[in-house]
Amino acid sequence: MSSLLTRVVSTLLPRQNAMPCSAAAFVRCSHWFASVLSLKSSPPLRAEPRKKKKVDPRREIMARERLKKRLRKLEKVPPEFIPIEDFITSAKCFDEMRVRSEPRLSFEESERRALLHKEWTVFKHAQHQAEMAAIKGAMEAQRQALEELRLESEELYQAALAPDPGLFPFTQQGPSYTPPLENYEPPEGTYHDKTKVYTQ
Amino acid sequence: MATPCVRQVVRSMWHFRHINGKSAALVQGILHFSSSRQCNGAVKPKKDELKAASQWKLYGAVCLQRLPLVSQDPHPVEEKFADLLHQLEVERSFLSDHEVRLLEDAERLSRKQEGEFDSDDEDLANQEIITAQDEEDAWEQKLKRFQPALRARGAADEEHSSVGRCLAESLVLLVQRGVEVGGGAERERVWMLPQLPWSPGETLRETAEKALATLPGTDLQARFLGNSPCGVYKYKFPTSLRSESCVGAKVFFFKALLSGGTRPTSEPGAFAWVRKSELKDYLKPDYLKQAERFVLEL
Repeated sequence: MSSLLTRVVSTLLPRQNAMPCSAAAFVRCSHWFASVLSLKSSPPLRAEPRKKKKVDPRREIMARERLKKRLRKLEKVPPEFIPIEDFITSAKCFDEMRVRSEPRLSFEESERRALLHKEWTVFKHAQHQAEMAAIKGAMEAQRQALEELRLESEELYQAALAPDPGLFPFTQQGPSYTPPLENYEPPEGTYHDKTKVYTQ
Repeated sequence: MATPCVRQVVRSMWHFRHINGKSAALVQGILHFSSSRQCNGAVKPKKDELKAASQWKLYGAVCLQRLPLVSQDPHPVEEKFADLLHQLEVERSFLSDHEVRLLEDAERLSRKQEGEFDSDDEDLANQEIITAQDEEDAWEQKLKRFQPALRARGAADEEHSSVGRCLAESLVLLVQRGVEVGGGAERERVWMLPQLPWSPGETLRETAEKALATLPGTDLQARFLGNSPCGVYKYKFPTSLRSESCVGAKVFFFKALLSGGTRPTSEPGAFAWVRKSELKDYLKPDYLKQAERFVLEL
């Protein structure tokens, strides 16, 4: 036991002091050995075992969440624009097979077209002038009527100038090409709305 | 004394210029009449007295229009131009799917007939049993089976008392009234727009509405367009009927659109639905001149 101890000591300590004192003295020289009998407890061995910190699982979870967030940001794609169908030229328009052969207009035909255009402008101009004159005449008639009414009685005049709340919103069914058929039964059926609805 | 008389005369002249159709002599006569009356009166006649002196009877009348139910027939120029536009549109367009199909079918048929038809080469999957031409014929047959109502009714359009005549034009309602003609003569039946005398305490629009509601033998639903009158007809009574308080009458017209109602059950001669071009056959010249201004045929 003591020989073993001496051997241990001699290996541990530097050999400056060759062997002045005995083994027991050697042992007592160093502070590493509190007592002879107590052995093999180096500081690392003597320290308390490291306790597991409670914050650690939370820290791991948070680290995982941060990674997930970064992943999600990378995956985030801006929403696609809803296509406007009117602006998309269908491929059929670029098909050369569909182009009509250009018609060859005779001189008479082109002349006829030009003259018809001129006739049309004259006709439309006259129609417009007539419409404007009729409207002006009607407005003048109304103005004169109100003038006459004012001469008669101010009260009635003010009543005439008051706005009519029941007039607007004004709706009127316009003319159709043929008048409605009496006792007409329309065919049975329902409409299926096939419009494409896009969501972002 | 002379200056105020002259001033009154000038003002009266300005008023009477609005009377339509009166001859110059009559106007002169009226001028003399009014000026002498005012000059002989008080020292300086005030404006209120002038108003009270020549008072007019007020009437509210309704110009009830039935708007067209059917589109107008196009003018020859309009027809020609519409054809030209259609032609241009077809010339400048591409071939549609249906036309392409027609062409392909025609081509295939011609190849079959010439004997160059190779059934192995042909794309049998795309072929259909019913050709485009057959489909077109079937559609035409289906259209022919549908008979729409007639646009113009021919002889029935001449019946002036029916509201279903001349569907392509707007009609105005006229009624016949007995009007007193001075000089002891019996009442003359005159065509005019339905009117009613105004009673104090109501607006003129209400008078016009009552005029429509109280038409005998029918109930017409109408929508009045606004509170203000669209025209006025001012006329003086014949000399025998004139009195101190009323010289003549002013008829204020209100526009209304027909929105429904039953057929009139009274005698057929009482009502007339007339187009603007036929108004001159019914109304008196002065009345017509005023009525034509606000009856629009647009």
